[in-house]
Amino acid sequence: MNQITKEMRDLARELLASGEVKGLIGWTKGSRWYLTPPLFITRPEEAEQLYFDQFAVNNLTGLLLDYRYGDDKIALFVKGCDSRGIVRLLQDHQIKREKVLVIGVPCMGMSDKKAVTDPRQPVELPLLDKCLECRYPNPVIADRLIGGALVSGEPSEPKGLTASEAAKRGVGSKQADRFAQVKAIEAMSADEKYAFWQAQHEKCLRCYACRNICPACNCRECIFESDKKGWVNKSATPTDNAFFAVTRAMHVAGRCVECGECERVCPMDIPIMALNRKVIQDINELFGESDAGTDLDGKMPLGLFKNDDPEEFM
Amino acid sequence: MVEQKINPVATLSDVKRINPLIPMKAKVTRIIDETADVKTFCIAKEEAGRFTAPFRTAPGQLAMLSLPGVGEAMFSATDAPEHLQLSIKKVGVLTDALHEICPGQTVGVRGPYGNGFPMDEYKGKNILFIGGGIGLAPVRSVVRYCVDHRDDFGQLHLIYGSRSPADLVFKYDLFDTWPAVRDFKVSVTVDRGDDQWKGNVGFVPAFIEQLRPDPENTVCILCGPPIMIKFTLGILDKLGFTPENVITTLEMRMKCGIGKCGRCNIGSCFVCLDGPVFSLAQLKTMPNEY
Amino acid sequence: MQRLKAFPKAKLTAVLEMMIQKATVWVPSMIAGVSRFAPYRPGTDIQMGTNTAISPKEALFPSTEKIYKFSAYGIDGDFEPVDPSVGPQILFGLRSCDMQGILCLDDVFLTRGYVDDFYGSKREATTLITLGCVTPGADCFCASMGVNPAEHDASDAQMYDLGDAYGIIARSVKGEALVKDLMAAGLLSDTDKSQGPTADFVLKVDSEGITEKLQQMFDHPLWDELSRKCLNCGTCAYLCPTCHCFDIAEKKRNQHCGVKIKCWDTCMFSEYALMAGGHNPRPSKKERVRQRFMHKLRYFPERYGKLQCTGCGRCIAKCPVNLEITDVIKLAGEAKSDG
Repeated sequence: MNQITKEMRDLARELLASGEVKGLIGWTKGSRWYLTPPLFITRPEEAEQLYFDQFAVNNLTGLLLDYRYGDDKIALFVKGCDSRGIVRLLQDHQIKREKVLVIGVPCMGMSDKKAVTDPRQPVELPLLDKCLECRYPNPVIADRLIGGALVSGEPSEPKGLTASEAAKRGVGSKQADRFAQVKAIEAMSADEKYAFWQAQHEKCLRCYACRNICPACNCRECIFESDKKGWVNKSATPTDNAFFAVTRAMHVAGRCVECGECERVCPMDIPIMALNRKVIQDINELFGESDAGTDLDGKMPLGLFKNDDPEEFM
Repeated sequence: MVEQKINPVATLSDVKRINPLIPMKAKVTRIIDETADVKTFCIAKEEAGRFTAPFRTAPGQLAMLSLPGVGEAMFSATDAPEHLQLSIKKVGVLTDALHEICPGQTVGVRGPYGNGFPMDEYKGKNILFIGGGIGLAPVRSVVRYCVDHRDDFGQLHLIYGSRSPADLVFKYDLFDTWPAVRDFKVSVTVDRGDDQWKGNVGFVPAFIEQLRPDPENTVCILCGPPIMIKFTLGILDKLGFTPENVITTLEMRMKCGIGKCGRCNIGSCFVCLDGPVFSLAQLKTMPNEY
Repeated sequence: MQRLKAFPKAKLTAVLEMMIQKATVWVPSMIAGVSRFAPYRPGTDIQMGTNTAISPKEALFPSTEKIYKFSAYGIDGDFEPVDPSVGPQILFGLRSCDMQGILCLDDVFLTRGYVDDFYGSKREATTLITLGCVTPGADCFCASMGVNPAEHDASDAQMYDLGDAYGIIARSVKGEALVKDLMAAGLLSDTDKSQGPTADFVLKVDSEGITEKLQQMFDHPLWDELSRKCLNCGTCAYLCPTCHCFDIAEKKRNQHCGVKIKCWDTCMFSEYALMAGGHNPRPSKKERVRQRFMHKLRYFPERYGKLQCTGCGRCIAKCPVNLEITDVIKLAGEAKSDG
């Protein structure tokens, strides 16, 4: 068992035994070596099931929405990218600060299970693109820290017990490529862009996995939940799917914390982050550089009016 | 070496080619204002200048009503030769729109769906009807049947309640038609009375306890809001009604009406096919998820 | 005994080219980075090696289809049928799990008093060609669900993987016509080879008695525990070869006319069973997760006499939180019944 897992279990046991929290969200070892899915526990003895390794990729913050109307305090573990989701939920007034206990963990970078060739044979796998592009490997907010993790609200190098492993695996080594896909699509002709997105939107099943895992998608009732108003349609045609994709991207504009979970969970491999990154790039150009979900007290670019804001549309 | 088998897949060519999901075009011929939020719609199809019911329904059966451009929903139907009658409470987008339409409106109907009440099994028995609010609509289809076949049944007794006198539906039946039928006792209560109300004031379950209907050779047909059902079942049990003799109708969201779309299941039952009429004895064997 | 006929794998495109003369041929292909069954055209990127990421149910039960047109002008209105019939089509290279999935869809759409003609007419127009599976994928467990990966006897023709060739035998009149056409085109020759054994499965589960066990587990705390990590997205249902639930929705062209559509829906969505007026019989994740697994493993077998999970493993492969049906079967099997 690795050191982080050990610290995780010890802390979880302590928090649940003392009654400080009613529930705790972490990760557990899944059915195969390359799976480390979410786990919700309520009893100290269940702490033994917790596990952390380079496959604990799920951002757990969205699961907090299930407890937003309850009075129970919930603890959860966050990696750097996940922690920005906590700031998101707090800024959006979806959870109360005193009802969540954030435990920061250091991150060695998450491996890409799509590269598995033999499900029986553990091997070293390449990092997920989102980890190569990572700029916030350390939690931006935390109440407790394990594994030597350090809080940092700024882009930083990986810290803590896994710092050297993260550096070796290349976490953050492709930060400069963050907007590469956006640039590539921008370089296309209008017809090429249309053909590219049409092919992507044709695939969309409207399963809403992207929406349901997203900490920024926290509306009590999503507009896509109800076709009664006649605004949106349930049919999964390229046009309706594009309407969904663009509406979703615009609704998380200035709020997307770049955890990349929407794209990871898409069963159809739609490059959802390309759309999110395009919006981020535009906001950066219009309102100055900012990273959503990194500063709890900071104002979101689209949530703040300044006299010198661009106003071409007025 | 593989042995060759000939296994022809059953062909479907002998099945009648109709699309069961397409509604039949019909017209609303009359609209009766029951209460501030309940209207009864009479729906007929026009053929050679004559209006007739688009289809006949057995007591307790359902009909799918659609308003083109708005939506479609399932309602409990009351049968008549000249039209289909649906009593509808304003609760959502479609029902709001239905409350705005005028006679002459084109609508779509399909059905009849569901099992209906097994009326033959009730022959020779006394029938106790219990209804609450709009829950009288499915009960009324059985009452009408019993009145039309009066000699087939023993004593009839209806216990009905609503929130206030203004919320009583089918007042013309409650106070005129039914009390005039032989051996038909009609007992009405309201949760809150008003200056004019001279009848009983109180909730339905308490009213039943007060009236103490006799379970001997009696089938109880019960329909109303879940909270009323819950307390009424307790009282009926105390009075000695067996689960086999307490019958109710269930409501679930439905889209197809023909047991395909999946959403009205309770366990392995589909309410649109196997229901909506269930005895309490049947419900006790099903998952409690409705 | 008749000898097995076969064609070399190198001649696959020639076989498909011949078949598309008479029918639309759905083949496993790679489309915009996702493997799914799609109508074959010259140049299609065919993927015969592993099963598709998306189930072939799309060919018989598309995610969205028009069922009738409507118009509404003031108090007038009309309903105009849409013809559900399609031309002849072939589903080529179905795995046993997906063939079994079609049998489940048949039960739903073609039995119990009503025939859904939108499914029925496609089903009738379709020739099903199954392919023996010798290399199960990482998430496959069909053998645990009583499905034989090597062959399925409900198809119109069965293909066998002979290494460098595909063996084929006819199993129905439709299949015989197809094999006869291939013979006539000189594409088939006799072979003494036979399909090798199917490789061992990574995922295995004992599903024996699961229906009976779940009959005692409606109120079991397991559902609460299992559902905690679920996102209530529709990935599992939409990839599943047997999930058949649909919505009937309106798609308006303008305020006067539009079409009624039949489109995929899932019990995972919160508004799925929500009634006008606000009552929801399955208000939280717990009830929705329970419904999904109970439907697959208990309600469907009770109604139609077969499990509604064929072990294709697609939901396991793509579930964002790894809520795996094999785990559910295992945990339910081990759990103490509550009834």
